[in-house]
Amino acid sequence: MTSNQFIRNGSFLPLCLLLTIPVQSEVSPPVDSVTTVLLNAIPGLQYDVVRFTVKPGARVKVILTNKDDMSHNLVFTKPGARLSVVNGALKLEEKGPMMNYIPGSADVLWSIPILSPGQVRSIVFTAPKSQGAYPYVCTFPGHGFVMYGVMYVTTDEHLPGIENDLNIPPTRRESKSAEATGKNEDHTLHSAKTKSPHPYEPTTPYLYRVYMEDASPAAIAVNLPNELSYCWDAGTCQLRYAWQGGFVDNTAVWKGQHKNAVAKILGTIFFRETTHPLRIGSREEIPVVAYKGYQLINRYPEFHYTLDGIDVYELIQSKADGQGLVRTFRIPGVTKPVCIYVHSQEGIEYETPLGKWKKNKLMLSSSEAREFTIVMTKTAK
Amino acid sequence: MKISLPVWLVIGLLFGLVIFLLFYKNVIPGAHDPAYQDAYRIEPIPMPEGLSGEVGGLGFFQDGRLAACFHRGEVMIYTPATKQWKLFAEGLHDPLGLLVVSDSELLVMQEPELTRIKDTNGDGQADVYENVADGFGLSGNYHEFNYGPVKDKDGNLFIALNTGSAGDGIRQELRGQLNTLGRYGEDGKGQMFSVVPYRGWVMKLTPAGTLIPFAMGFRSPNGLGFDADGNLLVADNQGDWVATSALYHVEEGNFYGHVASLVWKKGWKKGNPFMMPIAALDAMRTKAAVLFPQGIMANSPSQPLCDKTDGKFGPFAGQVFIGEMNRERIVRVMLETVGGALQGACIPFIDGMGLRMGNNRLAFAPDGSLWVGQTDHGWAGDKGIQRIVFTGETPMDIYSMNLTVHGFDLTFTQPVDEQVAANPDNYAVHHYYYAYYKKEESEDVDTSIQVDVQPIRVTQITISPDRKKVSLTLSDLKPGYIYELKLENMKSAKGRPLTNKLICYTLNKLITD
Repeated sequence: MTSNQFIRNGSFLPLCLLLTIPVQSEVSPPVDSVTTVLLNAIPGLQYDVVRFTVKPGARVKVILTNKDDMSHNLVFTKPGARLSVVNGALKLEEKGPMMNYIPGSADVLWSIPILSPGQVRSIVFTAPKSQGAYPYVCTFPGHGFVMYGVMYVTTDEHLPGIENDLNIPPTRRESKSAEATGKNEDHTLHSAKTKSPHPYEPTTPYLYRVYMEDASPAAIAVNLPNELSYCWDAGTCQLRYAWQGGFVDNTAVWKGQHKNAVAKILGTIFFRETTHPLRIGSREEIPVVAYKGYQLINRYPEFHYTLDGIDVYELIQSKADGQGLVRTFRIPGVTKPVCIYVHSQEGIEYETPLGKWKKNKLMLSSSEAREFTIVMTKTAK
Repeated sequence: MKISLPVWLVIGLLFGLVIFLLFYKNVIPGAHDPAYQDAYRIEPIPMPEGLSGEVGGLGFFQDGRLAACFHRGEVMIYTPATKQWKLFAEGLHDPLGLLVVSDSELLVMQEPELTRIKDTNGDGQADVYENVADGFGLSGNYHEFNYGPVKDKDGNLFIALNTGSAGDGIRQELRGQLNTLGRYGEDGKGQMFSVVPYRGWVMKLTPAGTLIPFAMGFRSPNGLGFDADGNLLVADNQGDWVATSALYHVEEGNFYGHVASLVWKKGWKKGNPFMMPIAALDAMRTKAAVLFPQGIMANSPSQPLCDKTDGKFGPFAGQVFIGEMNRERIVRVMLETVGGALQGACIPFIDGMGLRMGNNRLAFAPDGSLWVGQTDHGWAGDKGIQRIVFTGETPMDIYSMNLTVHGFDLTFTQPVDEQVAANPDNYAVHHYYYAYYKKEESEDVDTSIQVDVQPIRVTQITISPDRKKVSLTLSDLKPGYIYELKLENMKSAKGRPLTNKLICYTLNKLITD
């Protein structure tokens, strides 16, 4: 076969073009200076940047900072080779730690070894001449299935829509903000309109045992009809506060490895109780309480605790007009008079069918104390 | 038409066929055996739509229904026959363990307490939530997870309380007495802490209802169980003071190594345990029965579960399975008593094969299948439930590894290929240990340093007449070391390759004649 034959059958021109493309770039490499990419390993097994573009043949500098509290490495692989490299790292088995969990595979292009929290390290490489999606991944055992991103080697600035980009983790495909911050999941309970965070639609009344502000860590958030909610504390065995509006947003507390998170109260607190209000007999000291649990009565929790050893039950409902709470106490075994301290609080009016008021103290006989109700109404200011 | 083939051609073809068959038999495992299949099969369990399937606990009712609790507080019941889920209870605080009591009653370990949850009116949903035990502190630190309960033969329940994370603070209002001696320095940097009672402890709840601090020194004890003899086993996760993840045989009053919990020891007068000399702490410490080399065997072991299926789940009855969070793996543990204490080996059991990561909870169904609940919760892992079914095909695996006076006995589930097994080159043996020390703040939490890694020679190999047991004599046996064996080329007499090739034995004590 001679070159004449090529000319004759028309194959010569395309072949020449094919040959000259790489040759050209050899002769006059891209004039761009080094493309610098800042990558951070961040909490939640992710890189903050999950995709970036470089030009074919560009000099690329990647600076990796480990801002997580776990170890991470960074491995660039040939297109489509992420999973085989991740599995190759797992197969290192006993050799994994000493090899920085980076398998000796031809699919591995460039890598940064394991970085401890706070460490920074960079690599410089020349991007491949063939355009394509080059994955980068942390191959620390367990991380590689979720912690990855993609370097697009392309002359085209336009990338596929992030929501359809199969080269980035599914959790990062949702929105522009996901691209920037990586915070994307659990947009739940922001309002009644958002999707339920459970496999069912919660039915009021319902509750969450959850960390809450101004309460012990054994707090209970209860949602009532009429947009009323309250915090009952299983640590101190009392109603701590009540609010009106939405219920709670647990997004932050339901996240793994949250820092000092509490359920976000979606409303305005209108009532607070400080020390325990009940006293049995002539004791004036703060009583000793012990939490026993609750029973659901038509879905309303009736809390059970002991107060100086005596069983006490408290059930809280919303007032029919939605303007306050109805608290029903039962102390079935009580043989002594009971008093309830009410801390004068602006904006709350008390109604009690039983007992006598003595300043801010409601006095009940032992028979009255077996079951009594306190109605707390928000008053217009 | 008359066909005549030259004799040389016939001979040649026959010879070729024989060669082919020999070769074929050697390269294709089980090709001789038309029924060959994998010994175990992984099946997905459909999850309810809208559930964040972070599994905290699994347990079976006697009738075969599954109870599962999830991170966002749901307890749900799955009926395998109908594949339907039904809500049983809701609103719990990060429930991380459950125990089925009866058809209408569960015990669930949640963050603030151990709770008895009952359906008293028979409508299929719980209506009574009783506090069974809350005699421990809460600082509000996100990492104060609680695990269990498991029940011993005398009816005692055991739970485990995680230490607080150095990555998070404590709340202003606590439950329980504050003791800052259980924290390192002002901010507790780099060290998990115990500033409220019994963080880092395993607790025992007697049938009479008394909660007793039982054993201390745990960091992240995400998983309790028993071995076949009823010994309490608790796993701990690698990190500060825990050089590599461990399985402890937990006995009353013992200290297992993470120092924060020491401040709650009765009569503790030694001040801040983080400042104590290592030698003094080490002298108090009970060593792990089995260590899981970090990055090699497991980084985050979870619940140990003894196989009591009497063979329904395959050949490993009486041994212990333990979930691993960081890999698509379940590990198998074999224990033996040497010098009066439990020690033994760990080996992968299921590795990949469609198993997900995040293997947090295990439960055997009445039919002998092993159900696996997964979670990730910000760490490496996954969500959901799978089940593992024994197909009836005996795997080619190491059944047990036992210490002998001069080395180890490896017992296989099937006779081994004698030629391969007799060759010392087919055993890559190393030993190393992990030092007990305090990690400095600058040191990476999840790096584990193998100390004194040395190759060990196999000096003699004896194969039992049934070819199931291979006795190895090693050039060196040292207590305090892990013996890691890699059997890359091992295969059965029928040519089936060894399923799991890496096994690690924690040699605490030698056999003395």
